[in-house]
Amino acid sequence: MSDICEETLGVGLLCEGQHDPGTPPAGLRRAPSGVDGLTTEHLIINMGPQHPSTHGVLRMIVEVDGEEIVAAEVSVGYLHRGIEKLAEHRRYDAVGTLMDRGDYVSGMMGELAFALAAEQLMDVEVPRKAHWLRSLASELNRLASHLVWYGTFGLDTGAMGQFLYAMREREALLDILEALSGQRMMFNYIRPGGVVADMPTGLAEKIRTFLSTFDMYLDEYDQLLGGNEIFQARVKGIGVIDRQMALAFGLTGANLRAAGVDFDIRKARPYAAYPELDFEVPLGSTGDAWDRYTVRMAEMRQSARMISQLIDGMPEGEHTAKVPRIIRPKAGEVYASVESSRGETGIHLLSDGTEHPYRMHYRGPSLYAAQALEEILPGHLIADVVMIIGSTDIMLGELDR
Amino acid sequence: MLPATADIERILAGIDGVQIAEEILGTVARVELAFVPDALGALKAAGYESLVDFDGTDTGEAIEITYRLRSYAADREVFVKATVAYGGTIESVWFDYPSALMPERETAELFGIHLAGHPNPKRLLTSDGVEPLLRKDVLIRTVEEVKAR
Amino acid sequence: MSTLGISALKVLAALGLMLGNGVVMIYMLRKVLGHLHIRLGPIHVGWKGTLQTVMDVLKLLTKEDVTPRAVDRWLFRLAPAVVFVPSLMAYAALPFSDTWRITNLDSGLLYTFTALSLIPIGILMAGWASANKWSLLGGMRAAAQQIAYEVPLLLSVLPIVMLVGSANLGTIVEAQQGTFLAVLPRWFIVNPLFWPTFLIFVVASLVESNQTPFDMSEAESEIVAGFATEYSAMKFGLLFLSEFSNQFIVSALGVTLFFGGWTLPWLPASVVSALGPVIFLIKTYLGIFVMMWIRGTFPRVRIDQVMQLGWQRLIPISLVWIVFSGIVIKVWS
Repeated sequence: MSDICEETLGVGLLCEGQHDPGTPPAGLRRAPSGVDGLTTEHLIINMGPQHPSTHGVLRMIVEVDGEEIVAAEVSVGYLHRGIEKLAEHRRYDAVGTLMDRGDYVSGMMGELAFALAAEQLMDVEVPRKAHWLRSLASELNRLASHLVWYGTFGLDTGAMGQFLYAMREREALLDILEALSGQRMMFNYIRPGGVVADMPTGLAEKIRTFLSTFDMYLDEYDQLLGGNEIFQARVKGIGVIDRQMALAFGLTGANLRAAGVDFDIRKARPYAAYPELDFEVPLGSTGDAWDRYTVRMAEMRQSARMISQLIDGMPEGEHTAKVPRIIRPKAGEVYASVESSRGETGIHLLSDGTEHPYRMHYRGPSLYAAQALEEILPGHLIADVVMIIGSTDIMLGELDR
Repeated sequence: MLPATADIERILAGIDGVQIAEEILGTVARVELAFVPDALGALKAAGYESLVDFDGTDTGEAIEITYRLRSYAADREVFVKATVAYGGTIESVWFDYPSALMPERETAELFGIHLAGHPNPKRLLTSDGVEPLLRKDVLIRTVEEVKAR
Repeated sequence: MSTLGISALKVLAALGLMLGNGVVMIYMLRKVLGHLHIRLGPIHVGWKGTLQTVMDVLKLLTKEDVTPRAVDRWLFRLAPAVVFVPSLMAYAALPFSDTWRITNLDSGLLYTFTALSLIPIGILMAGWASANKWSLLGGMRAAAQQIAYEVPLLLSVLPIVMLVGSANLGTIVEAQQGTFLAVLPRWFIVNPLFWPTFLIFVVASLVESNQTPFDMSEAESEIVAGFATEYSAMKFGLLFLSEFSNQFIVSALGVTLFFGGWTLPWLPASVVSALGPVIFLIKTYLGIFVMMWIRGTFPRVRIDQVMQLGWQRLIPISLVWIVFSGIVIKVWS
């Protein structure tokens, strides 16, 4: 037991428990006020939940010395809708609607994670075409989601143009997704057993038209934001999450790969059509905000590459397996995870053999990215805070669930 | 991909009452609640350096908590499970796995259990006075109740 | 008419220009930014949305003027006026043509800079009185950066004063009349000696007028709306009116110092003297357009980078350049 009880920004004291508490996250340590005998006081500021650039309703309690952060606490829960509880009262084919509302910018991946989990307990063989359509929907959705990230990252730096340019491409993508699934954002397209509908006639052509200009536009956007000296001066070297910290905080996705860890669920635990696709996993080196930016930009290029492969090689056949109207998987416990646009979206599913899940846990990668903020924010300026949040691409919908 | 059960057995050899099984879920190590920090510490030392997920389940008799650990070097995963009584206390493992900070708070408030040794043991998602929502004895409104509102 | 009456009319004219400029610039800002952002800007109210600004002014006038309970009431009310008045004062020395000017000041350049440098006091007051932490940060940032950049702004234009031998803005314009070889205008921007001067002037004046990429004090993605967070209705309107007016003034100063003010060398003198104010306004609004272009394209610089640029780069460079151009001017003449 440690003798020293350190005061934290929260209500807790660091002296309970059997283990030596060691060092808590930097954000929770309160730095001493006053320098050289001068009586100064730190300012405690509530950043959010109604702040223009906390990407929804994230609230950070930051303690600042001038403009420099000395302590930061991330406070979440302003978007809690009880998705996990609600899922216990939905049938298996309706849980997808909840997953859409979890990570509402990339709903397809959430649906896919749930479908993969449920299928492990169902006696069903998913047809090859369904796998390909699932991958296609995921990659289209990943592009749409990364474009939102690109736009809002630009907005965080104060550049408004980038946001609207990204929205132009995203609009085209949402049109494609609407043609595919019937909805722009709340798809409920991927369900246990397959997907809801086949690709409509002419959609392949539409996607090809979109891809024909996308790479060019993406290079242009990369120049517009990443090629800007001011932007580079602002993101390079801030918010460093190195390999060790990324692993300790359970980061996944682009945030982890920016630290140089080569782990992508699409490669490491292949699902859907990914084993058949040819793509690379872009990696960063230092794990600063600039690395996260470049990794995500490179991911968009890879996604575009995958989409064209998926369109060209789309197999013939059924888009869904024969699934009973009311799905009753056998009792059991499974875990399925997919690489969503923000990281590893995992579904821990318990079935008791009835038509409702017994328990569904939804692992949102944003939750883990958000708690890493507590560790990395101290020492940065207020202006950097929004850049770091922007670079980690957290989504409050899946954070609060 | 999945770790050999024997490997986990070797890592957790010094801890009493460990049951290791290969299930649909993956490799599952069931540990007594009191030994969870020791077991996780041993796993961390053995290279399972990332806690990827932490959650709980109301089994009807008690609350079962699940830690999902991953070793990137060995590309392996293991699930560590333990059982807590309703209203019981779990020991925080944040000094080994800082990623447990928020999921532990969430699980504690949603299942009505207590946290020991946590640096910031506040509620995470709901405000004071909200019932432990994920417990099976806490009911949500039925369709009729919603309509009658 | 008595001198007092004439003076009053002149002040009213400046006020009218300032309000008119606000209305024009809001519309212009929306249209320019809109088209830069591949959208249209206002299109519904009036022809091509031209009446949108009028509607917005009406909206601002009829909105509830909220004074939060915790604010320092007197400072809170006074601050918009303290921001507004220097901004209005700055019009006094601007030469719109050889005859159209409110007053002919021999120290016109210094006077205009002085008027501009009073504005941060008002912004600091607004930030302090609002009893809001974001406002306070905004006010502090405004004060810090404007103090830092007043020095290079003034130092940067000294070579011009040295060459012309006068700080009277009218005299500076007159020194730029005529052409080289009947093609190139004799504007100071054409003279390579003044290129570094011009660059420093542009950067410093963007900071002074609080424009992207230096809009620290109201950086909406960082500190909500900075010093203007707690202001509503016409108090907010006044703060923004003076912001637009500052943009006009620095653009007009740039035109006067580097682009020949009201003159246009290729036109006959009689036409120029008749159209002087029109030429001046066109040039000024072109300058404003460039500022909006920058605003629509660039991300924002961080506050410590701004301060570093000001104190560590711009001030030494402008000092060196003053010495250098002093020697050149001495040797040349």
